[in-house]
Amino acid sequence: MSGAAGPPAPRRFGAVNWRGLRTLVWRGVWRYFKMAWHTLGGPCISSLLLLAVFVLAAGGAGQMAPGIALAEFLVPGIVMFQLAHAAFENAAFPVLDDKLEGMIGDILAAPLSPLEILAGYVLPAVTSGLMTGMAILGLGWLFADLRLHDLGALMGFALAAALLFALLGTFIGLWADRWEHYAMAENFVILPLGFLSGTFFTLSSLPEAARPLIALNPVFHAVGGVRYALTGYAETALFPGALLLGGPILFLWFLVWRLFATGYKIKP
Amino acid sequence: MHAPSTLQRPPAPRLIGRVNGRGLWTLYVKEVRRFLNVFTQTLLAPMITTLLFLAIFTLALGRSVQQVGGVGFAQFLAPGLIVMAMVQNAFANTSSSIVISKVQGNIVDLLMPPLSPWELTLGVAGGGVTRGLLVGFVVGLGMSLFVPLSIHAPLFVLYHAVNASLMLALLGMIGGIWAERFDHIAAVTNFVITPFSFLSGTFYSIERLPESWHFVALLNPFFYVIDGFRYGFIGHADGSLLVGVLLMAAVNLGLWTLAHRMIATGYRLKP
Repeated sequence: MSGAAGPPAPRRFGAVNWRGLRTLVWRGVWRYFKMAWHTLGGPCISSLLLLAVFVLAAGGAGQMAPGIALAEFLVPGIVMFQLAHAAFENAAFPVLDDKLEGMIGDILAAPLSPLEILAGYVLPAVTSGLMTGMAILGLGWLFADLRLHDLGALMGFALAAALLFALLGTFIGLWADRWEHYAMAENFVILPLGFLSGTFFTLSSLPEAARPLIALNPVFHAVGGVRYALTGYAETALFPGALLLGGPILFLWFLVWRLFATGYKIKP
Repeated sequence: MHAPSTLQRPPAPRLIGRVNGRGLWTLYVKEVRRFLNVFTQTLLAPMITTLLFLAIFTLALGRSVQQVGGVGFAQFLAPGLIVMAMVQNAFANTSSSIVISKVQGNIVDLLMPPLSPWELTLGVAGGGVTRGLLVGFVVGLGMSLFVPLSIHAPLFVLYHAVNASLMLALLGMIGGIWAERFDHIAAVTNFVITPFSFLSGTFYSIERLPESWHFVALLNPFFYVIDGFRYGFIGHADGSLLVGVLLMAAVNLGLWTLAHRMIATGYRLKP
């Protein structure tokens, strides 16, 4: 009798609230599928358009570097550009939307640790980026003669770029107060990082002075790595590039984790 | 108990002449302020994006493509990119204005005032044209820092700038009236406007197309927009200039009639 009268025992979680995390991740991934028309269709169309106008504009003069045709050079670049953009968008948009609509309260009130909340936003964005990238790679394969040289490099660099931009997107989502801020970050930071990254041109076509600058852009190394994996053509060594991706990822992971823990702009 | 009879008489309706000048001007100013308020998104962002396009295309192809249409690749590219930014922004302005008003329900504030359908069409389209022209100016200014731009035929530049902006502003209105949700208009932008503006000769001369596609390209009004505008700068056109001038006027007349008709009948605007 006395056992029934007492308050219910608190639910127990192990070290990780797996069910909570899974729910949060699935919510993000489902959001991507629900809007596949935009999240997937839009990037596919714009990638094909970019590829088409480049090939048409080049006419017959289609060799970017010795032994590599224009389309083969471009496809890995476009894939990585869209992958990074999708990872950013699918992180920043949900975070900011939840924040502005007040839904973030539901997530903060749930028994989830800051690290689990962070993962709950970042993992769906990484998945979105990878799915978008894969779809475009599949399309690109129809138009470019790509050969897989290094599966490890392909997966590693794709994952690193998706993770970096998903973290960046989460950060921007937390920082932004209005949609305008999000658009500013996208137009003035993400697009320039993506476009000025060797996505569309070789290092040697840049003026001498700009070459060290572009080497600081993590997207440049991500594009370089994936291009090597798909064509066997590498402009720079892969290893320092991997460090330039890994460093910012660790830093941003720590930063955004602390922001969730302290409730930066999300707790009253 | 009876109030003086003068008070019982309803107020005389305000007399508006043939044109509700104040109403039209107010609507136009509202449409312009709407985008000037967020000028970083509506003017600076297009400039940055267009300059990035210029950069990647000249870096990637500048060495292998020396001459197009008798001028350097960058000079060929610049006018096309300017007009591409103009049309995309003219479309975005009118379409977003109408869709947002519809979704939020404040479209009644447009339909209630004593504004005739043609005044509504002119006021909203005028806002889109202004955005297009301002974007063109800002982008052109940015480009002139990197590419030597000289104007060969100023009237052609002006005619095509105004008509291109008007064409897309009207299309934006039509699309905005047709769309019921934001998705619809985003789909039109992604799957119609962007492909047309990309594949209409901004980046390449029509001679680059396979022979059988020339005919298709010549049917595309966007092609004449870009070709005529570019002629104004570099003095070289791929297609016929006269056809372009006449076609743009005819297309705009047709679009105007359609937009006017939609507003007059209240298609998807009035319950």
